[in-house]
Amino acid sequence: MLEVRLRHRFRDFDLDVTLKTSGPVLGVFGASGSGKTTLLHAVAGLLRPQRAHVAVGGGVAWSRPAGSWPPPERRRLALVTQDPLLFPHRSVRGNLAFAPGAARRLEGAAGRRVLEVLRIEPLLDRGVETLSGGERQRAALARALLSEPQLLLLDEPTSALDAELSREVLGLLLQVRQELRVPMVLVTHRGPELLAIADDCAVLEAGRVVAQGAPVEVLSRPRALGVANLVGVDNLLRLPVTGHDEAGGVTLLGLGSGLSLAAPLCSVAPGSAVDVGFYADEILLCLETPKGLSARNALPCQVASLDAVGHEVLATLSVGERTLRARLTPAAVAELGLTRGVRAVAVVKTAAVHLLGGS
Amino acid sequence: MSSAELDVVLLSVRVAALAVAASLVPGILAGWALARWRHPLLPLLQGVVMLPLVLPPVVTGYLLLFALGRSRPLGQAWHALTGGHVAYTTTACVIAAAVVGFPLLVEAIRLSMLGVDPRLEQVSRSLGRGPLDTFLRVTLPLALPGVAAGAVLSFARALGEFGATIVLAGNVAGETRTIPVAVYTLLNVRDGETAALRLVAVSVALALAALLLTFRLSARRRDP
Repeated sequence: MLEVRLRHRFRDFDLDVTLKTSGPVLGVFGASGSGKTTLLHAVAGLLRPQRAHVAVGGGVAWSRPAGSWPPPERRRLALVTQDPLLFPHRSVRGNLAFAPGAARRLEGAAGRRVLEVLRIEPLLDRGVETLSGGERQRAALARALLSEPQLLLLDEPTSALDAELSREVLGLLLQVRQELRVPMVLVTHRGPELLAIADDCAVLEAGRVVAQGAPVEVLSRPRALGVANLVGVDNLLRLPVTGHDEAGGVTLLGLGSGLSLAAPLCSVAPGSAVDVGFYADEILLCLETPKGLSARNALPCQVASLDAVGHEVLATLSVGERTLRARLTPAAVAELGLTRGVRAVAVVKTAAVHLLGGS
Repeated sequence: MSSAELDVVLLSVRVAALAVAASLVPGILAGWALARWRHPLLPLLQGVVMLPLVLPPVVTGYLLLFALGRSRPLGQAWHALTGGHVAYTTTACVIAAAVVGFPLLVEAIRLSMLGVDPRLEQVSRSLGRGPLDTFLRVTLPLALPGVAAGAVLSFARALGEFGATIVLAGNVAGETRTIPVAVYTLLNVRDGETAALRLVAVSVALALAALLLTFRLSARRRDP
């Protein structure tokens, strides 16, 4: 559906992106300043990168410096941004009818479908300044769809909305995807959005793609510290390598007080530090050291605090000289009789411990 | 007011209106270019456009007279086109008024176009509207209050134009004697003061009305 190769050197920033996706929805994930918006603008033709090759489904391909690099109006890629950017001098209807041919489409079956899915009908004759934030984003989405784009470019379409509205818009995007079958590129800095909507995702960091694949895979196996910070990997540690067990396939990392954490075997020299991350869900708590355990980590720990977060309990554990976080159910907390100061054993599979930052 | 004085007022209004009409399209283009283009030589263009605002009008008038003189290329081109000469005609009044009012027009348009969010133009392009379409459907409508304010302001400036007019167009009754020229003439003749005062009153009223209109237009521009 979309293939992108881009290189552009800015004064203080290099964009060097290679992306290929076949899924109808590509998620592009990254912190602000990672080059997400620049990437979208280049695909949209709003930017003239030094070197570029963009292929959109159906055999259409644009490239620079050789080849053609058409202006945005000849690409049929509609852009929807965080700020809905409705035209303030036009009514909602005037905005929806803006694209060439959109006025005619608005009267036809396709237009009615868009109005229905996005629930725009009652807003048509309102002035845009009277709309609420969610209504504005719906109108902007409808305006983009009525231009009959071959690809919808969404630049953080929900990040200006509160949690509830952003869920609503996300639901609408899912509907647009399923019912109107418009392929999309969704740029976001929120992990859950990607999980909900994208078939394929790419993680952008400092102008480069650092990970690409199915969202669940990319977001749950953080290969780069940047991703870990973004998606909120709950345990991020920089630990010294104390030794390797090549036959056993593990590298041991010092947690202090003689304890060590077994991570997948890596080639970092003993004494050097590595960054590791694992989710709070990956920790099991037991009151005694279990017998016959396949997990390589059974670490004695002490409960430092328990915080209720929604329907879950986030436990902070002291392990050696470090602190780990584990996510538990209230039922488990009750059954084990966990309170502050209780001693327990934290069990973590080696494979759950991800080495970050290419280490 | 005598019919001669009324003629003076009507001539002034006609000259100012023609001056604004003639400079509107170039003014919009210049304002847009100054607001949107990025070029190292752009400040120079801006300087040339703004020059009549800071030059003594008499100097502007002399430069125009020099450029449009019979033996100069511009003057000869004008002669080939119209069979006449510019100097000391109503056309000369219009040119003088247009040139002197141009910076005010361009500056108001430039500022209002700067106030148009360029991202709206990007969205318009991504929706399939080319640069000209985008300009006519998004940029210009949103900058319209500024264009109107600039037009009114340059109209008022044209009404008051004296220095460049007296050099380029002289003082021909019925042809080039606008309100300021007429007031100056009347102040130099015996018993002319009463007539001069009447024209002064008209002048003040027109200028004040134009200013009030400008304020109104720019207030509307600031509304969300």
